[in-house]
Amino acid sequence: MNSVRNLLRARELSAGRGVLRQAVPGRDSPWLQERSCAQCFWLVPVRSIRSSAALSRSELVPSAKGDKEKDRGFRDGSLVPFDELFERAHEGDRNKAAFNRAVEFFCQRDIRRRGHVEFINAALRKMPEFGVERDLDVYNKILDVFPKEVFVARNFIQRMFNHYPRQQECGIHVLEQMENYGIMPNKQTKFLLLQIFGDRSHPIRKYQRLMYWFPKFKHINPYPVPAALPRDPVDLARISLQRIAADLSAEVTVYQMPLTDISDAGKEITQPHIVGIQSPDQQELLARHNPARPVFVEGPFPLWLKKTCVYYYVLRGDPLPPEEKEEVIDSERNFYYPMHLDLDLDRDLWDDEEFYVDEVAEGPIFAMCMAGAGDQATLAKWILGLQQTNPILSQTPVVFHLTPGPRELQAASDSESGEEEIPQSWHMKQEL
Amino acid sequence: MALSFKLLDGVFLSSRCHRQNALHPLLGPLLTDCISKLYSSYRRPGTAPDNTPPWKMNFSFEKGVDGIKKHFGLLKKELVDHWKGPEGYRLDEYLLAQTRVVWEFRSQKDLDEWVVSSDAEIGGKSEAYLKLGKNNQTALLYGTLNTEAPRDGETGYSGYCAMRSKPPKGAFETKKYYDWSNFNSLYLRIRGDGRPWMINIYTNPYFSHQKDDLYNYFMFTRGGPYWQEIKIPFSKFFLSSRGRIQDDQHPLWLDKISTVGFTLGDKADGPFQLEIDFIGLLNDRAHTEEFAYEKYERNPKV
Repeated sequence: MNSVRNLLRARELSAGRGVLRQAVPGRDSPWLQERSCAQCFWLVPVRSIRSSAALSRSELVPSAKGDKEKDRGFRDGSLVPFDELFERAHEGDRNKAAFNRAVEFFCQRDIRRRGHVEFINAALRKMPEFGVERDLDVYNKILDVFPKEVFVARNFIQRMFNHYPRQQECGIHVLEQMENYGIMPNKQTKFLLLQIFGDRSHPIRKYQRLMYWFPKFKHINPYPVPAALPRDPVDLARISLQRIAADLSAEVTVYQMPLTDISDAGKEITQPHIVGIQSPDQQELLARHNPARPVFVEGPFPLWLKKTCVYYYVLRGDPLPPEEKEEVIDSERNFYYPMHLDLDLDRDLWDDEEFYVDEVAEGPIFAMCMAGAGDQATLAKWILGLQQTNPILSQTPVVFHLTPGPRELQAASDSESGEEEIPQSWHMKQEL
Repeated sequence: MALSFKLLDGVFLSSRCHRQNALHPLLGPLLTDCISKLYSSYRRPGTAPDNTPPWKMNFSFEKGVDGIKKHFGLLKKELVDHWKGPEGYRLDEYLLAQTRVVWEFRSQKDLDEWVVSSDAEIGGKSEAYLKLGKNNQTALLYGTLNTEAPRDGETGYSGYCAMRSKPPKGAFETKKYYDWSNFNSLYLRIRGDGRPWMINIYTNPYFSHQKDDLYNYFMFTRGGPYWQEIKIPFSKFFLSSRGRIQDDQHPLWLDKISTVGFTLGDKADGPFQLEIDFIGLLNDRAHTEEFAYEKYERNPKV
């Protein structure tokens, strides 16, 4: 009933609106507000059409700067609130300074920080674009946008009933994004959270959980990867090969440095890098290898170092036949003491810690390498280099099992899987 | 509000089904479909609920015969095992065993005890497959990880691939649990590609609100052509529910273990592979830790 009366009154007033506006210059009367609401409602479809037109225009004409500067409100043709704030902030390139400028601009615009939840959510989404998603200072700066001491619960009832839930959820979102990127909060974060939400609030609880669990799991990786991987492919190869060799005495050899040169004929020559690794055990295995049996170069196999994938190649033999597997020690080789002792040194019934499973039959691995190019010519250079230290390799046929793309370690001997195989046996002696 | 109603509904229905199950143990196999439908509470956003009435289930004669064969076979095995000793081992073997191989992968039948899933279930784009490796000696879990979240307006993150063992079942679909209380470490022989994995252990959910509880720990692979032997003490496993670490931690109940799983979710898009030779248990007598995390109340009332 009341609303109907209001509506009628509004219609009456709409006729003489200009007069009334003159009469009340500073503040709109409540009826007028209602009226303007109705206007808004009617204007919504119209505005959306207009904005889409502006979008298409800006697509057609790249210098639609007038449109951008027209309105500093946050619904400027974009569905994402505060999108244009970040668009405007990066005049040059997207970096930390530009991001900070956007945050500062928002903070200075309005002393009451209206719409800060939407702004923080937008900022969190924009962080990877600006490359600041792993920067603790930026997270603290974002938390600083929250108005201080407004959302602190003053009594136990407020605390019980989730005081300012949207703001607390937003604070949790900030901390969760930090968690996802593995950023550990610091004292300043805690200080800010205490100032904004007070103790025993949900964001503070989240902070406490992060500070409890992060240090526990910080160093549990037994094969750690450096935070910043080296740019140089040779250094990267060195790290990866040392990781997969699982042998501290393994030696890394750089067979060829990467090189780009222009020859006399004006042709550009690129030399891919070749880095190999071989441990003394592998060398010994190769020395005992029967030269009548071929060895295989296989690959590429993937290796992940955090989010980088590198590929390596292996030199391996076929699984040994049972008669070659054991080195038979002649009992008469040494007359003074036995060369081989088989004593049962178990002390107790409980000392048997063997797993009774069939052993997986696999051929021995002789060497591993990483190269800038996966073609046969490059890998042949690696084999040539290996021959310096392993003379037996010059009498052994080498077969290349190379695939154009990465593949599983398992499919190595599956010839029916339709992979490209380049079998080629060649004796290096003839070439040399 | 609607969610809580749904949950209440689910709890009520499942408890009713339990009662039915208890009343008619022989009807168990017929009711399992209905029960499992009620237990899987997750439904992808945008999909219609599965309202297939129970009378439209597959009631073929062959299925019945197969079920009878299978369940009476299991019953016989249970009786014989009980006669032999605890869990079918001889008593001295059972008491003295320091190691036990729980799963090894030598045939297709071993692979059938595992379920492979990925975020394709929630609308993501990852793929995961499980197959036998070279010479049928290992299991190879491979696929691609894709962290692109499904555009359904609800899902925030995506990108996981997982493999999980099927829960052990006795005759007539009775629930069974692994009793690993004689051992204190999990022992795995694997070969990965450098990616970190997570091992999930699911235990008996005594109360229905514990049905999402998982015990997790991490498994780091080195990569490369060599096999890797990993020993993880059970004391290191921490409790999580619906992917969130819980504040109050409890040690794993080793006599109520239901499933073991592996999850990959390291946010790196691209192919992955994990080769598993066997999964075993070890009693490491040098390890005396009961639980690696604090059990007292943390986050003190300021």
